[in-house]
Amino acid sequence: MRKLRSSEKTAYGLILPYVLFFLAFAAYPLVFSLVLMFHRWNIVTPMEWIGLKNFSRLAGDPLFFKSLGNTLVFLGFHIPLQVTVALAFALLLNSRIRGRGFFRAVYFFPVVVSGVAVTILWQQLYAFDNGVLNSILTSFGMPRVPWLVDSSVAMASIALMATWKNVGIYIVLFLAGLQNISRELYEAAELDGASPWQVFFSITLPMLNPTIIVIVVLSTIGGFSLFIEPYVLTGGGPMQSTLSGMLYIYNQAFYFNHMGYAATLGFVYAMIILAVVLLQRKLIESEPVQ
Amino acid sequence: MLRKGCLLAGAFFVLGCGGKSGPAGGDDSGVVLTYWPAPNAQEVQLADSLVRVWNRLHPGIQVRMQPIPVSQSTEEVLLAAIAGKTTPDVCSNIWPGSLHDFTQAGGLIALDRFPDFDSVAAGRTPSPLLETFRSADGHFYQIPWKTNPVMMFYNVELLESAGVREVPRTYGEFLAAGAKVSRDTSGDGQTDIWMGERDIRPIWWQRWFDFYSFYIAASGGRTLFDKGEVAFDTPAGVQVMGFFQECYRRGYFPRTFYQGGDPFLLGKKATHFAGPWQIAAMQKFAPTMRFGVAPLPVPDGYEGPVYTYGDYKNIAVFSTTRHPAEAWAFVRFLVTAQHDLLLLELCNQMPVRGDLLSNPLFGEYFQRNPKMAQFARQVPTTRGMDVVPDLKEIFDGIAQAYERSAVYGAIPPEQAVADAARRARAIIEWNK
Amino acid sequence: MKNLWKYAGLLLGAVVFGYPFLWMIAGSFKPEMEIARLGLWSDHFTAQGYTLVISKIPIARAFVNSILVSLCVTGSVVLFGSMVGYALARLRFGGRRVLYLVILFTMMIPFQIVLIPQYILMVKLGWTDTYLALVAPTMMSAFSIVLFRQFFMAIPQALIDAARIDGCSELRILFTVVWPLSRPVIVTVAVLTFMTSWNEVLWPLMVVRERSLMTMPQIVTLFTIGGEAESQLGALLAAATLLSLPVIIAYAFFQRYFIESMASSGLKG
Repeated sequence: MRKLRSSEKTAYGLILPYVLFFLAFAAYPLVFSLVLMFHRWNIVTPMEWIGLKNFSRLAGDPLFFKSLGNTLVFLGFHIPLQVTVALAFALLLNSRIRGRGFFRAVYFFPVVVSGVAVTILWQQLYAFDNGVLNSILTSFGMPRVPWLVDSSVAMASIALMATWKNVGIYIVLFLAGLQNISRELYEAAELDGASPWQVFFSITLPMLNPTIIVIVVLSTIGGFSLFIEPYVLTGGGPMQSTLSGMLYIYNQAFYFNHMGYAATLGFVYAMIILAVVLLQRKLIESEPVQ
Repeated sequence: MLRKGCLLAGAFFVLGCGGKSGPAGGDDSGVVLTYWPAPNAQEVQLADSLVRVWNRLHPGIQVRMQPIPVSQSTEEVLLAAIAGKTTPDVCSNIWPGSLHDFTQAGGLIALDRFPDFDSVAAGRTPSPLLETFRSADGHFYQIPWKTNPVMMFYNVELLESAGVREVPRTYGEFLAAGAKVSRDTSGDGQTDIWMGERDIRPIWWQRWFDFYSFYIAASGGRTLFDKGEVAFDTPAGVQVMGFFQECYRRGYFPRTFYQGGDPFLLGKKATHFAGPWQIAAMQKFAPTMRFGVAPLPVPDGYEGPVYTYGDYKNIAVFSTTRHPAEAWAFVRFLVTAQHDLLLLELCNQMPVRGDLLSNPLFGEYFQRNPKMAQFARQVPTTRGMDVVPDLKEIFDGIAQAYERSAVYGAIPPEQAVADAARRARAIIEWNK
Repeated sequence: MKNLWKYAGLLLGAVVFGYPFLWMIAGSFKPEMEIARLGLWSDHFTAQGYTLVISKIPIARAFVNSILVSLCVTGSVVLFGSMVGYALARLRFGGRRVLYLVILFTMMIPFQIVLIPQYILMVKLGWTDTYLALVAPTMMSAFSIVLFRQFFMAIPQALIDAARIDGCSELRILFTVVWPLSRPVIVTVAVLTFMTSWNEVLWPLMVVRERSLMTMPQIVTLFTIGGEAESQLGALLAAATLLSLPVIIAYAFFQRYFIESMASSGLKG
């Protein structure tokens, strides 16, 4: 091996801590997870090799598929809502108005607050008997909505809450994206006599494509990582309609002590996330940008 | 001066020789056993008294009691202790449902290796019940100690005022009573007196007090499994699920999580399924309520004695013990009739004895506590948990099926039982 | 006229996103009966919610724990992130490309796959119920390395050459030349890291069972689902308010940094 230059030595010195960190907290867990998937283990007693049993169990596990379905429901509400609301407010903020900084700051605030605090807050909004939202509805003579107690509504309610919490980031992102669209494009369109709708659909939207991809991908990853909201609000119910993938992994690992099965679930969810994200990028990117 | 010094030295010498053998200080060749009782106040008190008596009677075999930390479940603590080989010699807080995990980890010794096990165990617990505690390999790794049979408490006032003259014994009678009892007494259009109430959340151990107890009753004393195979997808299982579905469908049970205290203590519901601990709660929080205790309702047309779930706690000796014979002697000591009486008096818990109502020793206690006598009558027809892996998750499956079918009526009872059985089979299969 | 609609929409947004927090704070001071009301005012403001929270959970201790953990993590991420970012951006060494690809790769791994093994690692090392378990797994961040590298690549080579000629070691160059020029990226990384670390709750729930070591979001979570609030809505809102208080204060002063950090990092993502 050739002698290292002194600059190389310094470089290795600089990266050494990270390499150690990577080995301990990325490489080892990855490798161990691949091992753990083929075992049954409750931490206390020795690991037991069971071959592919975790996978065959997963393939027939109604709760696993339920959690996937729930995540789809969540994303189905969350992503469209997120994109439209964020875009709407970004367009408003992008126009000639005063107090842009103030509004931006208010819209962004829910993002930085702890998810736990937001969940507790919405727990009070969504309470069936005397929650704020239902109190408003009944004061107008309207029936109460079973936000978190009806299995067909609960996940959508959580999606609404998640949108409220995170849309601030995407407003800011869209704003930045909008401000990057060169004025010339708009001026050219105006000269051509294009209507505002035409301008929007043929210039604005395509130019925002990269931002939209980011939003969709980040929201998807967030949707698959949903944990504290169902954990605090519903415990996964009613009738497992808010059981998220992460909550199921947590229950399998810490409630039933099935470390091997939990690791298997984690691996499969991770593969699904990667596949979905790749697919999304392909689908959205395939739209041609003028 | 010298004499004083000699006395002092002598005292130090004697105390010093006490060393590890405990407070009563035996000689160095004495045996010391560690004993873990349940962490609640009454049982610790009972254990303390028993240990003191034992230590006086057996200077050569000292027992040291150590309470289990309250913050964790006993099962977790014991499992971790088995793995770390820090188990005690004897523990009297063994939940039979965890026996599978304990024996698989090799943590317990077989008690029937002791020649007098049969006479001690069979002399105390009637045979069909005792058999349910035998493990699959034919050995006994536990000896039944105490049980909390689940029975039906009923509010006499609420039933009488609704015109229900006899305590319901069958599902039909119960539902008929429910029609009369569940009503709106405040005129706000919402029911405020209920026939019964159960926690609607799918919590696994809550099902012991509805589906599981009722299943044992409806099936005439069968548990969920038969020789390690799932065996509850039977007509009895469907009847139980259907019964609860009717209770909710007809509005006799509230479909909400009841907040604001225990509705039975508050006189808001007419029936309550619980064990003998409820009696103490009644005396403390609702001393003026007239209540009774009856066996659980059974399906119409059922004949024979009424069985139920008995929430047992048993005694076991761990394999780390260095003095198995002495440990067994202490276990024998714990289950004598006198000490079973102490269990009744100090803790109001039911020993797993067949002679509770025939043995004159207990006569006076049951005269003073007639409601406890009801439970004593129920003891021989209690059943416990099967020794299978992952009971928690199996009950979680039952709880989820119960939530779907009984509470929300989203699926018919046949499907619910089939779903729960399918999930239980998958879990058993996964554990093989 | 069109402007009126715009402002109406913006104001509606401000109400939707901002009013719930005002309601939460007000609600924490209201008596139980009045909490469901939409208005902020009450004739009987009370602190009983707060007294219940403080008496039931060690919230001050949890606050200290959160500060400690978040500061350690932030400091560590900035330090090591800048070190590796600098090495990747300005130094030549064998395996530089590979390392960068590995770092990008780790950013792609969904955490679901490493969560359980990381927990088991903590158990095996005996680090459960220690501050180590809360800090170590997040003390370096691939994302921060990418941000630092990107920024450092734009630093004029002349400055670095000058320092090298002066005989500075690379480490000194990093801290005395590069860092002062890197305020934007350091602030971005610090703000993002602190915020993420502060709000983290799943990991503490897994590795810490000892109440005196719990972080603030963790202890408030357990307070909420554990029934210690005794169904007192005021107490729940008080706990949520206390949890949000540090962020509200930080946001009031540094709001610009929060927003800009997110924006600049998001575009790169």
